[in-house]
Amino acid sequence: MMAVVVETKELLETVAASLVAGVGMTFVFSIAIWGVARFAELSRNDRPVAASASAAVAILALLGTLSGVAFGIVVMTNK
Amino acid sequence: MSADVIMVIVVATALAFDFTNGFHDTANVVATSISTGAARPQVAIAFASLLNFVGAFISISVAATVANDVVNSEVITPTVVFAGLIGAISWNLITWSFGLPSSSSHALIGGVVGSAVAAAGFDAVLADGLVGKVLIPAVIAPLLAFLVAGIAIALVYRVVGKQRPGTVTRGFRYGQIVSGGLLALAHGTNDAQKTMGVITLALVANGSLAANADPPVWVIASAATAIALGTYSGGWRIIRTTGTRIIKMDAAQGFSAQGAGAAVILASTHFGFPLSTTHVINGGVMGAGAAKRVSAVRWGVAGNIAMAWLLTLPAAAAIGAAAYGLTAIFGNGALGPVLVTLMGVSLIVAVFSRRSQRGSPVPAS
Repeated sequence: MMAVVVETKELLETVAASLVAGVGMTFVFSIAIWGVARFAELSRNDRPVAASASAAVAILALLGTLSGVAFGIVVMTNK
Repeated sequence: MSADVIMVIVVATALAFDFTNGFHDTANVVATSISTGAARPQVAIAFASLLNFVGAFISISVAATVANDVVNSEVITPTVVFAGLIGAISWNLITWSFGLPSSSSHALIGGVVGSAVAAAGFDAVLADGLVGKVLIPAVIAPLLAFLVAGIAIALVYRVVGKQRPGTVTRGFRYGQIVSGGLLALAHGTNDAQKTMGVITLALVANGSLAANADPPVWVIASAATAIALGTYSGGWRIIRTTGTRIIKMDAAQGFSAQGAGAAVILASTHFGFPLSTTHVINGGVMGAGAAKRVSAVRWGVAGNIAMAWLLTLPAAAAIGAAAYGLTAIFGNGALGPVLVTLMGVSLIVAVFSRRSQRGSPVPAS
């Protein structure tokens, strides 16, 4: 009975979307920061190949974060 | 003529409520960025104000819920909506005066429900909508924000825990510009729509709009402007005190809390759930704090928020019902709303005068 009153599907989708977006975006952005920090450290240690790989990870993660934000806004505006 | 006067009063009261909503919630939106040093207060408040304005145009799902799913629009009159707004503003003012954090959103819905019941009995309330779209999400959303922020910050510490703190802090401060902006956008999206919904409800009741109609553009634009102006003007006074009440967080916690709050509010808005953005943001802040150290959270403040949460809907409903009763004494014309408005304005002036004389802290709502 309660399941009829409560919009269970929408609520579960809200919970899932919030978890994926909130945790996912923060995690991906922290990867970007890890990449930047590793890039700085490896560059200081004169390890250019590893530093470049870290920079690539940072850039990809940053792009992933920005894409996620853009996707979220697009989903909102299409409602 | 009388109906037009009532409508003007209703719209003005609703926009006044929207202004105070932005005024109260400024600190919730920007305090995290300011306390971690991610943004200067002036910049953060101006940015939040702008994004609140933009956010109000993004979606009308919440407005539709408030207008169509909480009370039966067929038995609602502009006077009922007016009394509901008086209930919401009064409860906001009372809790603000006593330093009790409360939800403007729940006050608004409670006020409208109370006045509707006073006018037309319990049949006026759409119980399914009230429970399914307001009460249940109201319980889940802050807990969800707490959980999301807690999991997120735990992952962040695992990923960047061994890196240089300076680089990590700088990185998350830059990130907070985006997460804080998203939070302001989410706030404008969810909160401005409640006012749109209430004005739409009054317009339908007045016969100016068809039932189940979307809010007109002028309603959306005026609600967006009111909440943006409230956000901009409220910040200067509130931020000084609210900033000291927030848990001292690092930039990563601030980013996680803002990201969690924005994610929960935007996802809920998408499905038309009118949330308390105050509770969601506080849930995110507490989650980010508790994941690092449980004792870092001021659980006494959390208890006050829970108490206010329990009281807000019934208290605002009771005041809304009383306001309708008082208005109805003067008949169905404009005299009742005019007199109640004058009484309300007098009360607001008295409370503000008392507050400014004391110089007491202003809690967020």
